[in-house]
Amino acid sequence: MDIQTSTADKALVVAVGGRLDALTAPEFERKAAELIAATPGPLIVDFERLDYISSAGLRALLATAKRIKAAGAQMLCVGVTGPVREVFDISGFSAVFQMHDSVVGALAAVD
Amino acid sequence: MRAGRSIARTFTLVVSVCTTLIFTAAIGYSYHRSRVALEKEVATNVANLVQGSIHRVETTLRAIAKATEGVARALETGHPANRSLHALLKATLLDNGEIHGFGAAFDPDPVLDPPVPTVPYFFRRDGRLIFAPEDSYEYLGQDWYQIPKELGALAWSEPYLDRASGGTLMTSCSVPIFVGTGEERKVRGVVMADVSLEGLTDLVESIRVLRTGYSVLLSRNGTFLTHPDRDLVMNETIFGLAESLDRPELRDLGKKMVRGGSEFLAYTTIGGVSSRMYYAPVPSTGWTLVVIFPEAELYADVHSLTLVVTVIALAGILLLTGAVHGIARAVTAPLGALATATEEIAAGNFDAGLPPVGTRDEVGQLTLAFAAMTSALRDYIRDLTETTAAKERIQSELKVATDIQASLLPRLFPAFPDRPEFDIFATMDPAKEVGGDFYDFFFVNPTNLCFLVADVADKGVPAALYMMVAKTLLKAEGQRLGEPDQILACVNTILAADNDSCMFTTVFCAILDTESGEVRFANAGHNRPVLISDSTARLLPVRTGFVLGPMADVVYTTERMMLRPGDVLFLYTDGITEATNRTDELYGEKRLLKALQTVADMELVEMLAAIRAEVVRHADGAPQSDDVTMIAIKYRGMPNADR
Repeated sequence: MDIQTSTADKALVVAVGGRLDALTAPEFERKAAELIAATPGPLIVDFERLDYISSAGLRALLATAKRIKAAGAQMLCVGVTGPVREVFDISGFSAVFQMHDSVVGALAAVD
Repeated sequence: MRAGRSIARTFTLVVSVCTTLIFTAAIGYSYHRSRVALEKEVATNVANLVQGSIHRVETTLRAIAKATEGVARALETGHPANRSLHALLKATLLDNGEIHGFGAAFDPDPVLDPPVPTVPYFFRRDGRLIFAPEDSYEYLGQDWYQIPKELGALAWSEPYLDRASGGTLMTSCSVPIFVGTGEERKVRGVVMADVSLEGLTDLVESIRVLRTGYSVLLSRNGTFLTHPDRDLVMNETIFGLAESLDRPELRDLGKKMVRGGSEFLAYTTIGGVSSRMYYAPVPSTGWTLVVIFPEAELYADVHSLTLVVTVIALAGILLLTGAVHGIARAVTAPLGALATATEEIAAGNFDAGLPPVGTRDEVGQLTLAFAAMTSALRDYIRDLTETTAAKERIQSELKVATDIQASLLPRLFPAFPDRPEFDIFATMDPAKEVGGDFYDFFFVNPTNLCFLVADVADKGVPAALYMMVAKTLLKAEGQRLGEPDQILACVNTILAADNDSCMFTTVFCAILDTESGEVRFANAGHNRPVLISDSTARLLPVRTGFVLGPMADVVYTTERMMLRPGDVLFLYTDGITEATNRTDELYGEKRLLKALQTVADMELVEMLAAIRAEVVRHADGAPQSDDVTMIAIKYRGMPNADR
């Protein structure tokens, strides 16, 4: 797993690549928590380069979303496609998270 | 360290050998140079000695020759009367103590009377001069007269033994007397001086070189005039000796001597002693003075000096070897003690004492380092022992947890032997000691069987704990509510309260009406089940619902379907479809459907075993990364209805 962070306009963009599973999820959660603490505001998670997500990965996403919500902001998911999209669909996450096709689209949705 | 050669021994050996080599080279070179220098010096000294002796001999001989010449020149002017001739001869003899006898002889001359005069001759005896005229007239043919006359110059005769004076070694100096000048100049007579060689031979014999070196005087013909061996004197020549001893080189040497050469050379004496020889000519008489001295004596000093130096060097090497060995031992002894202590430590005895640190040198530092290492090792092993013990405790606890978790799931099959209208079978293989997957089945009333499969997020102990809660709630609420959507909604609400860790579980919950075959089901984010009907396996279209746990107030929907007798509903977790092989290839739904189709007609026990085996085959040795859970239900229909 690799995590790339960038700032776009009014939101923080975190691009995740590789596998987000039981092994890497704790690292993602910790890193996301640090970013949220450092720069409060909307967080866009880009799944474009993510190959695989496990239930542990989903749990880390939930925890991150909860943390942002507690800070009064929102988490948006972009680029959820392929096997990752399947997992999102089966588990019902697609209906719960704000899903966007691109970072630009997500930025437009940020209030 | 004890095996093989010790450092001290090696060190000592190397130093001794090197020192010995250095000393040997130095002494050898010094010995060689000393020999060369000494030989050069001795050669010079011997040459000087010989030349000095020759000079003394020459001085004497020249004086005699000069006196004789003087008389000859005096006799050339006019015809001396017998009386004045006698007076001249006596006076000359008196003036020259070296001359033994003195005389003059003349060629026969008709002018004279008698034509062949008496030869006047005076000689010494007991301090007086005795007149002994020669009147045999045989002198005309004798060498002492003939040779100077023919040569027209001074001549020394070959030495001879004079019987008249009791066998004294003599030589004669003869000088021709001339008359006339230019073309008419001719020899008129000869003045002759007899010289005793006793003084000269004494002088020659007194020449001593080193301890046993000696000298030899050879005549013009190579006859021994002096020699330590008296038998050779006047009896033998160097050429005769060469002949009798069969030593050709001696003959060559003799030739060179007779020719008047001088040389310093190596020479082996008649007795076979390696020696050095120097010879030089006595110019006046053509004699040769030879000095011979043994080589052993020449080098005696060098030998004794070298011997002393060698003894000192050997003593020095011994002392040095002793000192080096002592120092090396002093250095390596603590190392040996340290090695012994280290071996004991290596054997596991960390309390073994290290040798005391006496000095701050390298060995001392090494000992301190070892002490630190031993202490660190002791701590490490203690920590390791504790950690291992803790790990073993956790391991045994986990083993118990595995058993508890397994015992929580219904494991007794056939589960409902008195219910012929359906079969049910399930398995759960945790990836770790404890897992987050579970299944369950129970009757909510006599004709409604609730069965479910669930997958808690993540793995291991946290998942197992959450699984316990979820399973308990699902069964309790399931039996109380009896409808899938209500069960899920209710359990979700309970789980979502105080769920800070955002744990969640997916659940597929279904209820089978055993009389009608109708199945009511609701899904909370779980994989779609497979329906096997008429030997065809297909994924059941299911509405997706959100997983249980993260969020309260989620609404689920109950869907319905009919099972015909013989139909099988196959529920599973993603441990099957996401099982990977070595190239990270997922097992996937397609393979699952295909596999299920081939085993569609099997009994449930064999069907699940076959699928499990298929997944293991796909993994091809890759480790199982997730819990693998399957539950299958086969509807057979009401026996009464068939009748």
